[in-house]
Amino acid sequence: MKKNIKYALILLSICAISTAALALTNSITAPVIEVQEEENRLAALKAVSMGYEIGVQEDIVGDRSVTFVTDLKDGGQTVGYILGLKGAGYGGEMALVASYKSDGEILRVQLLSHNETPGLGKKAENAGYMAKYEGTGAGSEVPTNKNMLSASDAQAVSGSTVTFAAIGKALEAGSRYVNELGGK
Amino acid sequence: MMNIKELTKGIFKENPVFIIVLGLCPTLGVSTQVSNAIGMSAGVFFVLLFSNIIISALRNFIPDSIHIPAYIVIIASLVTIIELFMHAFAPAVYAALGVYLPLIVVNCIILGRAEAFASSNTVIDSALDAIGMSIGFTLSLTLIALIREVLGAGTITLFPIGSFDGVLEVPWLIDNPFRVVALAPGALLLMGFLKAFFDWKAMRKVD
Repeated sequence: MKKNIKYALILLSICAISTAALALTNSITAPVIEVQEEENRLAALKAVSMGYEIGVQEDIVGDRSVTFVTDLKDGGQTVGYILGLKGAGYGGEMALVASYKSDGEILRVQLLSHNETPGLGKKAENAGYMAKYEGTGAGSEVPTNKNMLSASDAQAVSGSTVTFAAIGKALEAGSRYVNELGGK
Repeated sequence: MMNIKELTKGIFKENPVFIIVLGLCPTLGVSTQVSNAIGMSAGVFFVLLFSNIIISALRNFIPDSIHIPAYIVIIASLVTIIELFMHAFAPAVYAALGVYLPLIVVNCIILGRAEAFASSNTVIDSALDAIGMSIGFTLSLTLIALIREVLGAGTITLFPIGSFDGVLEVPWLIDNPFRVVALAPGALLLMGFLKAFFDWKAMRKVD
């Protein structure tokens, strides 16, 4: 009995010291990480804005795919929207930002954060990956399946079927969302 | 006295991958690209070095019957600390390693060496053991990744420096890759062949 209590105390002290070390590390790194993520988000917004003016951001709560929306303006006139989107990838949640024309056509897409497998789903970071989606959403369907691509395009996303479908579905939901906004 | 033997044994004689056969999940999973193999090896090196040192220093304090939970807590904390620091101060490396970093917790080389070596040896020997094992792991992983990437994709992916985008292309193979080598069956086949080769080498030495 006495031995058990001693063991418990030893384990407790190891856990306590580990927790303290983690808390200390977190207090040093958390602010730096937060600044970085904000910078990344702003850079991504800018990258998908196509040079239009970015409006005020409005957070969306309760939607399955859309996390935030802002207007894209050209000389005071709303020409489109930027949406924050989330999708369920192979390695958990992925965050995207995408810009749309008012009719729901996808302009630019950028991946913000993900946990996809390097060499497979992580390919979505590559330049050109998102080009498979761009221009779809209004006239043509957003590809949510590898079979909807031409053979050479499908080759480029081979190995990342789940990731490709997840991004496609999030973008499609975004396109519908933009349509419901109806250019207001 | 420093035991240089503890350093060199991990490279060939007790190579963690081919001889002790530890840490096969990352070896098979990460070895699709050379750059992945090197990144994973770097993470394993840091975690293994610190975990061996800490566990060796605490070897008389941790009772036998609770050593597994104690080691796991120490290893998981180390991995998390390294992950947080990389995320904050080396975001490019963090982004490149991605999901592999947290996976180091379950790499059995680390728990295996804590069990088999650090728990009963001095701090300096344990540190040398960690360095040697990491070199052995790095070489094995890079070898497998090199074979798989060259045959399976016809490329060698390193890290981009300046105008060099980090990808070397192998003529002919880039147009006619043996895709199966890059996929899971190829990894298992290759592992089998390499293990057989290393066993054959080790057997010849005994004779």
